[in-house]
Amino acid sequence: MKDEELDEILNRSASGAHDLKPEVLNRITGSVRASLRPVRALPPKSVLTGGVVLVCAAISVGSAARSGFFGFANMDSLERWLIFCLLGILAWAAGDSFVRAMIPGSRRYVSVSALVGWSCLAMLGVFGLLFRDYATHDFFSAGIACLLAGLLHAVPAALLSWLLLRRGFAVDAVKAGLTAGALGGMAGLGMLELHCPNFQAAHVLVWHIAVIPVSGGLGACIGWLLQLRRARRG
Amino acid sequence: MGAEHNLELLMVRYQQGDFAAATSLIERTSPQLHRFFTMQQASRSHAEDLLQETWLRIHKVRHTYRPGEPALPWFYSIARHVRVDHYRKTVRITEGERELEVMSRTTAPRASDAGRGDGLDALLAPLSSSEREVIEMLKVMGMSLDEVAWATSSTVGAVKQKVHRAYRKLRIKLSGSELRKGRSEELP
Repeated sequence: MKDEELDEILNRSASGAHDLKPEVLNRITGSVRASLRPVRALPPKSVLTGGVVLVCAAISVGSAARSGFFGFANMDSLERWLIFCLLGILAWAAGDSFVRAMIPGSRRYVSVSALVGWSCLAMLGVFGLLFRDYATHDFFSAGIACLLAGLLHAVPAALLSWLLLRRGFAVDAVKAGLTAGALGGMAGLGMLELHCPNFQAAHVLVWHIAVIPVSGGLGACIGWLLQLRRARRG
Repeated sequence: MGAEHNLELLMVRYQQGDFAAATSLIERTSPQLHRFFTMQQASRSHAEDLLQETWLRIHKVRHTYRPGEPALPWFYSIARHVRVDHYRKTVRITEGERELEVMSRTTAPRASDAGRGDGLDALLAPLSSSEREVIEMLKVMGMSLDEVAWATSSTVGAVKQKVHRAYRKLRIKLSGSELRKGRSEELP
């Protein structure tokens, strides 16, 4: 059977009588009229994306300034350029995705989970290329400390980004939470790269990058809980 | 196309507080949205409730529409959200009461009630809910691939994949029924 024949069958099946009671329309019009007043449309997406990326950058740099730029000082120029350019690009992509998640009917070029996955893979590739110290001293103790520090900065970054986009409307709270969490995770990773002087490949590859998926997962869980609460309230 | 017929321009005027534009939008999009709900396993009364709920949400978040962007996917993405919310609430209530019969009464398709073609229900039966939704948006609502992708917050590639899978299932179903029909005609 050809696609055109299937189209024809679908069109034939779909063409049924359909009516909507005028009183329903009147009720809707009445309720809209009661509270109709001008509203200010959201700013352009690029402005909102720039805003959330700036919030994340401010948290990363501000926190590293307070605790010291030890990681940044120990890097050579190539490492600095590669790591921070890539982080900037990924943060922009995550910020853009978060803005789109907060505006209904926005076009998507890549799915949220693919974005998180590709971000982690890209960071793994760059870190794997740059860091060649394969020692694993204090792998767990130092690693967990870094993961916690990264998450500690990811949470406020995600919350502030959410606050910045509070006028938006997330049609899918889980996806919005995942993106906000991943964006916050990038802020946390940025802070770790600026501050952490531990350049052991295993440490950076596992514990630094883990901030992105862990933070994203936390965000998705919060989104899911919010969705559940809304369903329970209803 | 005149300004009074352009959904995007009407949306901008609605955001500016123009009641005539709001009325025009309600009259133009409500039948489509109502149909969207009746097709998605809602009885007529439920579909009307969902339509009203959708308009309340649309009114509340009308500032999130970005001038210059397609309005139809924006409407449908909010309608989808309302429908999913309704589904979750229904599931929660029915789970709490442990009465599956209640669930079938509140969410089961009522083709005659909704005034939809009986054939479409049976035809789309083998499809998953997401495949069904995509096919209905494309073939019944007449939306483009781009618009469906925008409305469902997915990529065009993902929509194409769902359509491809849905067509494969429909082809199998239809060729199976044609085969049965042919056999029954052969019988004396």
